[in-house]
Amino acid sequence: MIEWTEQHVMIRDAMRKFVETEIKPNLEELEHGDSPPYDVIRKMFTSFGMDEAARATFEKRIARERAAEKNGGVAENGKRREGDIDTAGMQLIPIIELCRYCPGIVTAMGVSMGLTASAIMSKGTIRQKERWALPLLTFEKIGAWAITEPGSGSDAFGGMKSTARRNGDGYVLNGNKTFITNGPYADTIVFICKLDDGSEAKDRKMLTFVLDRGMAGLNQSAPMRKMGLHSSPTGELFLDDVQVEKERLLGETEDSPARAGTKASFSMERAGVAAMALGIVEQCRELSVDYARTRVAFGKPIGEFQLIQLKLAKMEVARMNLQNIIFRQIEIIASGKSLDLAEASACKLYAAQAAMEVALEAVQLFGGNGYMAEFQVEQLCRDAKVLQIYAGTDEIQISQIARSLLAH
Amino acid sequence: MKILVTVKRVPDPETSIKVKPDGTGIVTDNIKWVVNPFDEIGVEEALRIKEKVAGSEVVLVSIGDKVAQEQLRTGLAMGADRAILVLADDLDPLGVARVLAKLVDDEKPDLIIMGKQAIDDDSNAVGQMLAELLGWPQGTFASQIELSDDQKSASVTREVDGGLETLSFPLPGVITADLRLNEPRYASLPGIMKARKKELKEIPVADLGVDVTPRVTITKMEPPPSREAGKIVASVEELVNLLHTEAKVI
Ligand SMILES: Cc1cc2nc3c(=O)[nH]c(=O)nc-3n(C[C@H](O)[C@H](O)[C@H](O)COP(=O)(O)OP(=O)(O)OC[C@H]3O[C@@H](n4cnc5c(N)ncnc54)[C@H](O)[C@@H]3O)c2cc1C
Repeated sequence: MIEWTEQHVMIRDAMRKFVETEIKPNLEELEHGDSPPYDVIRKMFTSFGMDEAARATFEKRIARERAAEKNGGVAENGKRREGDIDTAGMQLIPIIELCRYCPGIVTAMGVSMGLTASAIMSKGTIRQKERWALPLLTFEKIGAWAITEPGSGSDAFGGMKSTARRNGDGYVLNGNKTFITNGPYADTIVFICKLDDGSEAKDRKMLTFVLDRGMAGLNQSAPMRKMGLHSSPTGELFLDDVQVEKERLLGETEDSPARAGTKASFSMERAGVAAMALGIVEQCRELSVDYARTRVAFGKPIGEFQLIQLKLAKMEVARMNLQNIIFRQIEIIASGKSLDLAEASACKLYAAQAAMEVALEAVQLFGGNGYMAEFQVEQLCRDAKVLQIYAGTDEIQISQIARSLLAH
Repeated sequence: MKILVTVKRVPDPETSIKVKPDGTGIVTDNIKWVVNPFDEIGVEEALRIKEKVAGSEVVLVSIGDKVAQEQLRTGLAMGADRAILVLADDLDPLGVARVLAKLVDDEKPDLIIMGKQAIDDDSNAVGQMLAELLGWPQGTFASQIELSDDQKSASVTREVDGGLETLSFPLPGVITADLRLNEPRYASLPGIMKARKKELKEIPVADLGVDVTPRVTITKMEPPPSREAGKIVASVEELVNLLHTEAKVI
């Protein structure tokens, strides 16, 4: 793939129109008010038939899995078909368009239907998928995916303190999770913890449970105040002797490879970040070019100063690079593969740094106006910073890339 | 029931339009093109009828350059069934109405829905001319359309000066859509995917055997006069004085 297809352009135009009419006028309320972003996400789902499309895809997949179960094998992923490039783009283009105004909405949406639903889809039983994943995929329900704890983020597996203890046929869960996207409002929570069977902490198995809002012993905090991404509510979860049946253990067995599944989620999450970065960079570049043309200093438009030109040129280089990364991602999704973790890390590292750098330069190019909330680059700059922190910090991406280089 | 809907490719109302220095037209580089907003309302209305009346078909028609395919695809993505693109340059309203009348002969629709006007040249003429050429009843500037249960007649509420007027007439007929008729849907993502596979037939205008010699020619275009910078005055007296002596409004 070397350029957007006709279908991609149509999706982009339709999304752009939605963003301009439904999000842009409500940006103030979404970013600085108390309204969570879920109504607008649901409106997007129904307007574009995304809920029905998700349901149809889900049903096809479940039918394949049931058939495979009967034959005693594992469901095979479909082969590449004509139109797969368009379908793959359909997943990324809405992210790009939304991020031009509201990276927070993408985070809230991506964590729910991406991370949370995917965790259930990759490890759950068919019954668990139907019960919990489907309502997340159609955005009927809001999901949260909880691994980070006050004492462990980058070292999520090693430092994890949350526990599950066997209790008859079920388990008792305890622990605190923090920085959890959608935590304050989630209906469905994927909770990752370690099986406390008396063995050494480092030898304990990782288990993943699905919780529902309102279960006894589960507390969801109010949204935390933060630097940016205000339209994505982030909170803490407190579990105090939460009793669960085995049907809430993903896969309904202690022996499903929890760690491998979680790593696959990381890889997908990182791919999404490149699309987010492209949206931020496109918008900053567009606003900056306009401003450079019209803002006059020393008797000429600031775009005539070479130092300003350098900023614009760098923004364009970043935009081209990110777009090419997205094209490669679309190719890979379309051919039914996924990026390996090292490449996903490289893309995420580049994308996060490019978005941050471009957004900072945009603020600089706007001068005092750049620092004022009225000019959108201020918000995009605060929002861009999170790309270097969540889904694995820059430092963690770097060490993963290096580790894969040195492994051979 | 079969509904024919027109879809014209026009510059996005949000784009700033520049007139060519020689006044022969507008600068078309870097312009974003969209479906004429009134036509989009027409497509939406046709789709709503299709959702109510089982077995209906919505056929889109555009007349113009090959690139108007994009706008037809948008209409197909919204849910129309198929599209016809008549390839022709620079027709005047009567030429367009004649081409449409010929297509109506071939397609035999029960209803034609069009935008009340295209937002590029704002002629507001084709709907009326087409009804006349066909000898069909017309309901222009519709803000509400109701079909009888047997779909043999339509009742159209029109926005006229000072109020609303309701007309009833037998079908087939021509209806032109006003702004408040409905709010068009977004093309859904599955709709966009399906649009690619729907029929889009191209017909060179010469194949239709219709006389489209323009009777109207555009002699010159010019931009509206640009606004001059305002003036800041020091006192109410000075303002009143200037309004009297300079602006001559009091
Ligand atoms: C807005 C937001 C939303 C989030 N949403 C979720 C969510 O939905 N679910 C969830 O589970 N988590 C979520 N997180 C948590 C996020 O994934 C973690 O914050 C992130 O992984 C970093 O962990 P930490 O905060 O504990 O930092 P730490 O791990 O304490 O890192 C502190 C610093 O040390 C560096 N560092 C750590 N280890 C190394 C190393 N080996 N080599 C070099 N440097 C290192 C880090 O890069 C960082 O600079 C979210 C965070 C934010 C900000």
